Amino acid sequence: MAVRTPHFPDLLFGSAARLRQWENTLMGLLEAHGYRELHPSLVLREGVPDGSMRFFDGDELVALRWDFTVSLAGLLARRFPLPPPRVSYAGAVFRRPVQPWEAVERFEVGCERIQPEGEASGEADVELARLLMAIPGALGLKSAILHLGNAALVRRPLEVEGLFGDLADAVVSALSRRAPHRVREALDGHPSASRLAAHAEALLSAMDGPRTLDALKASPYAELLQGEREHMERALHALLPILPPNLELRVDLADVAGLDFYTGPTLRLWAPGAQQELAAGGRYDRLFPGLGRPWQAAGFCVRLSRLLDLAETRPDLFEQPR
Amino acid sequence: MTPSSLLIAFPKGRLGDELVPKLADTPLALDATALKSRVLRIPTATPGVAALLLKGADLPRYVAAGVASLGIVGSDTLDEMGMDVLELADLGFGACRLSLCAQAGVTLHALREKPHLRLATKFPKATEAWLTREGLTAELVPLSSSAELAPLLGLADAIVDLVQTGGTLKAHGLVETAVLGHSSARLIAARGAYLSEPGRIRPLAEQLIAALRPS
Repeated sequence: MAVRTPHFPDLLFGSAARLRQWENTLMGLLEAHGYRELHPSLVLREGVPDGSMRFFDGDELVALRWDFTVSLAGLLARRFPLPPPRVSYAGAVFRRPVQPWEAVERFEVGCERIQPEGEASGEADVELARLLMAIPGALGLKSAILHLGNAALVRRPLEVEGLFGDLADAVVSALSRRAPHRVREALDGHPSASRLAAHAEALLSAMDGPRTLDALKASPYAELLQGEREHMERALHALLPILPPNLELRVDLADVAGLDFYTGPTLRLWAPGAQQELAAGGRYDRLFPGLGRPWQAAGFCVRLSRLLDLAETRPDLFEQPR
Repeated sequence: MTPSSLLIAFPKGRLGDELVPKLADTPLALDATALKSRVLRIPTATPGVAALLLKGADLPRYVAAGVASLGIVGSDTLDEMGMDVLELADLGFGACRLSLCAQAGVTLHALREKPHLRLATKFPKATEAWLTREGLTAELVPLSSSAELAPLLGLADAIVDLVQTGGTLKAHGLVETAVLGHSSARLIAARGAYLSEPGRIRPLAEQLIAALRPS
């Protein structure tokens, strides 16, 4: 008898109802803030990546939708001469799992904030962070932590030092593992080794509120990153006074997840004791120009499959339904 | 894992033998009575914190899955397994070399010249990376232990294995012909636990670093 893996989970009554309820709640929240739903096709016929679920439709290799942001970007670039400013989505994406416990079919709700290139983006970033701050309460999470990061804190020093390819990947991998000693090992003998190692030490300092940004002063790239620091300070200034109860805001200078995609501020939502982030997003200003559209964009995605798992394994983290 | 308990994964074997005495008289000292028993979950001197004794090859999986919040494992194992864990510190102890070893008299040049080189190892990933760097190809013979026997009995031309003092190699008439890399004990953490509960995990990590890293 074939072994059934959990990669294609069947949702029974409780989980199915919870998924439907969460989707409705979150889509309602997004709609109330001016986000309109788009639903890109489940089947992709172009840009079929390795990690997707692929199959032949006749002679044509196609893939199941593996990422809403990428699918939406294709749709928007094809169909809209000007970008709709606020877009939301809900549904499943299919990806081959990296870790053995990950599902292939993953349910998500998310949103995108799109602007013409050159328009000031600070307010859009804060708007998205404020929306994400409302989500733990909407889902009934008793407490949550929002991490603010910025991909440019690593991306720009690497670009300035002319570090690309395998060596840059090794540095990013070391930072992702929070391992400054691995940064030193990876750069052994490189002219930028001491500068980037000192920068890594600064990024990996404690995540203890607004003072964390002061760690950037110790970086050799402090001047280069002055704009990013000011942007993060402004975001903290705007968000801290409106922080909902039971939500903690932390600065994570060493957030490098998705560095090949994100170009600026990043957001990650955690629940205490959860093993995986429950929502993630950020600014990705290179996506639309790559599709021939002079637009900039940011967004986030709530990973409902992870939340469903968490509700099963750690019900103590959620308010009991009334 | 219950919300209140906190588990640290410690390695059995060579690294574990070095580690346990270093923790004596610290808040994370392992319960001596439990250590002498066959129990694999050992209380520490800190209430609510227990140690799991695990084989090195299993240990990163427990931490990556968040069952154990922290762990100590050799960097060789970490590199082979490629699990998604945080690596908070190089603890320095348990230092050894990952080396290509062959019978005395067999040189690296002679191994390079072989039209069909066979290498026995439990480190296929590191071996493949070295072969790629050197522009060589080889048949890898996967073994999980006692690799020293492979060249002696004709299972392989050479082995890639960890060498600490060289005593085991010498006892089998083998010598190091090339050093592929270095390994030492690393403090690892579950990504989720560390990022979502730094207030619980960081103080423990700092205690482990203080006890285990040479000052």
